[in-house]
Amino acid sequence: MRKMITALLALVLVAACTQESGEESDFYAGKNISYIVATNAGGGYDTYARLIAGYLQKYLPVDNVIIRNVPGAGHIVGANTLWRSKPDGLTIGTFNAGLIYGQLVGSDGFDFDLRDFAWVGKASGEPRSIVVSDNCAIKSMADLIAAEEPVKFGSAGVGSASHSDTMLLASALDLNVDIISGFTGTEGEMSMMRGELCAILGSTSSFKNFIDAGYGHFILSIGGDMEGVPHARDFAKTETSRRLVSIIDALARLGRISAAPPQTPDDRLETLRAAYRASLEDPELLAEAEKIGIPIDPAYGDDVRQLVVDALDQTPETVELIRKAINGGGQ
Amino acid sequence: MDLSGIFDALLTIVGSPYHMLLLLIAVPVGMFFGAIPGLGGKLGVVLAIPFVFGMEATAGALFLIAMHSVVHTGGAVPSILFGVPGTGPDAATIVDGLPMTRNGEAGRALGAAFGASGLGGVIGALFLLAVLPLLRPVVLAFSPAEFFLLALFGITLIAMLSGDSLIKGLLVGFFGLMMAFVKLDPQTGIQRYTFDMLFLWDGVDIITAVLAIFAIPEMISLGVAGGAMAQVDKVTTSYGLAGVFRGIGDVFRHWGLSIRTALIGAFIGMIPGLGGDAASWICYGHAVQSSKTPERFGQGAVEGVIAPETANNSKEGGSLLPTLFFAVPGSSGMAILLGAFVMLGIQPGPGLALTGMDIVWVLIWGLMLANVIAVLMFIIVAPSLGYLSYVRGNLLIPLVLALTFLGAFLSHMAWENMALLVVLSVLGYYLKKYHWPRPPFVIGLILGPIAEDSFHKAMALWGPAFLLRPGAMIMLGLTVFSIVFYIWRLVSGKNKPEQTHAG
Repeated sequence: MRKMITALLALVLVAACTQESGEESDFYAGKNISYIVATNAGGGYDTYARLIAGYLQKYLPVDNVIIRNVPGAGHIVGANTLWRSKPDGLTIGTFNAGLIYGQLVGSDGFDFDLRDFAWVGKASGEPRSIVVSDNCAIKSMADLIAAEEPVKFGSAGVGSASHSDTMLLASALDLNVDIISGFTGTEGEMSMMRGELCAILGSTSSFKNFIDAGYGHFILSIGGDMEGVPHARDFAKTETSRRLVSIIDALARLGRISAAPPQTPDDRLETLRAAYRASLEDPELLAEAEKIGIPIDPAYGDDVRQLVVDALDQTPETVELIRKAINGGGQ
Repeated sequence: MDLSGIFDALLTIVGSPYHMLLLLIAVPVGMFFGAIPGLGGKLGVVLAIPFVFGMEATAGALFLIAMHSVVHTGGAVPSILFGVPGTGPDAATIVDGLPMTRNGEAGRALGAAFGASGLGGVIGALFLLAVLPLLRPVVLAFSPAEFFLLALFGITLIAMLSGDSLIKGLLVGFFGLMMAFVKLDPQTGIQRYTFDMLFLWDGVDIITAVLAIFAIPEMISLGVAGGAMAQVDKVTTSYGLAGVFRGIGDVFRHWGLSIRTALIGAFIGMIPGLGGDAASWICYGHAVQSSKTPERFGQGAVEGVIAPETANNSKEGGSLLPTLFFAVPGSSGMAILLGAFVMLGIQPGPGLALTGMDIVWVLIWGLMLANVIAVLMFIIVAPSLGYLSYVRGNLLIPLVLALTFLGAFLSHMAWENMALLVVLSVLGYYLKKYHWPRPPFVIGLILGPIAEDSFHKAMALWGPAFLLRPGAMIMLGLTVFSIVFYIWRLVSGKNKPEQTHAG
């Protein structure tokens, strides 16, 4: 009796396999995928992951795609965790592309090499921009470049994406800025409203409410083009400054990346990439993303890998510039 | 103000069985997320977002606000019964809530916590209404300079919470401050006392520290002493409904304190950046400071439960203000709510005052109704909760320890926090054993980073002249007054407060 049931089950399984697209999607049948998010629940990375997870579930025969929040040390803990996860195709993860800076200058705590992750894709870039407060005398890039007094910029702190980007851009375009750290979340926006900080360089989408409410306006974009707002490359005159701007630009264009641990088997990686692509092209996902107000601008597989590899390929001089910029010249 | 609009909104909620049903579902869910250590309201909202996704704006917003506003009502329960705070802002409730349980007054403490939470929530919502016209100048008056001095004022409260020995209190407080410096220096990126361990880069987790300092030592001493949490000879009447109602009555007997702490809580909630942990400890300190018999605190004074519980619920009303009208969230939980509101089609910002006031009224009413419903629901289950304090220690300890370790892990999703929990609980145990005051440690840990961070910002913005800003002078005056008051109290009347504050 038991043998008969087993045989019957095997038969059903075989039938299911031949019906499905291939053996690898069969591997996923009835399993769970963990999606590691390198921040706490609720941030931008978490929002993207939760949105995509629902659709991965639709395109893979898995039972569940489970979000695992692994926050800490500015995304490093999450990336380390993904690096050490079993490369069986059942774990993927998302973290800040800004870790590229850290790898370039050899920061502490990095167990991983970004080149070796099995890249699945990116959901969207994360364009940056400079927003200036309406309380501030600086109204345009021309004002900023000509500023004689240091212009007060806010940042979350040394090591954060906002800090590194601001330092790099200031050194690229020779801007006279005074970066004041410690403004996390929306504290920087409050400070601009009080007339303390003049400007912030940050993720464009995070300023949406601030701009819509009429407290300030954009004067520069980077990592994406914005109508009526100049791009940083327009101001990069020398070879060095073009180089630095192109790094910030490349990282911003990478944005919301997802990867699997290194040495994930090729066939499973391909299955994951296909499901990721199908999810991000699903009209329902696009509609949902529009409703929650997050942009979708995807790239897949080896294209993303290539972007990461290119961003990590810098001359020692540029690396030295970056090191100076993100350490505040201090170390 | 548009009165008919205000009452139409009430009718929208109460007149619709669907909306009332949503409230009845949201309230216990929110309290659950509060009562399990390490979960918290933020995660609750994140997990609820997929469920409200398809709802229309009013229903969805009502559900989320109701859920989020009663988290700390639920969070008080494990604080009082086991010394395990459900959420960070419920930690201050332990200091007197737990001794009340030990005195056999668990029911009364729970009643006081629910009553205070409910009242705090309602006052917070009323505060929201009252402050609407002055919102912008008041919120914008608080810069890093005022933050720094407010944190400094909070730190002087250590003196109030030191009990019989100011020196002991200060030592413990400074130790807490020292622990607050363990993290990546935000100004230079240099690692401070992190010993190359990544989980310390973001600082010592407050929930873990509170669990280690309060919950574990209680469980150890319960294990050593035997018996149940309630250290009374026989089951008293106080775990029944009578005790619960007595506790609720206490909230109104101390009506002056209840209203003051609710207002302080709402006020602190309104200013983005200070947070609920600071609000509840500052209110606890205020309760001790303003009491005629401060020596009762830490021994099971009902005011010590009322003050933090009114504050942590009323701050929700306060923090909704900048979230809705500036689109600048008053807390990290509110930041997630803000995202959810946008998803539901509500566009926060100054424009809301012109176009979306009907939804604002719905939210205000939702806040009040949820708080009232939470109290009513809890009164029903309070007697059985209170009975838990008579459960034998050997049955209770494993459960509470499991909760404690779970809380330490969940709060930062890091196993290392469980190791930190063990290390710090050794400190907690000896502090308890030798009757050293424990609250100053937590105050130092919570207010230290606020003080450090805002000091740096204020110095970078204005240099030392930041002390001359009008708001800063007022805060400075308050701090000086607080110190003088303390000294005056030591000198006049009693020679010194007799009782320990070991809690």
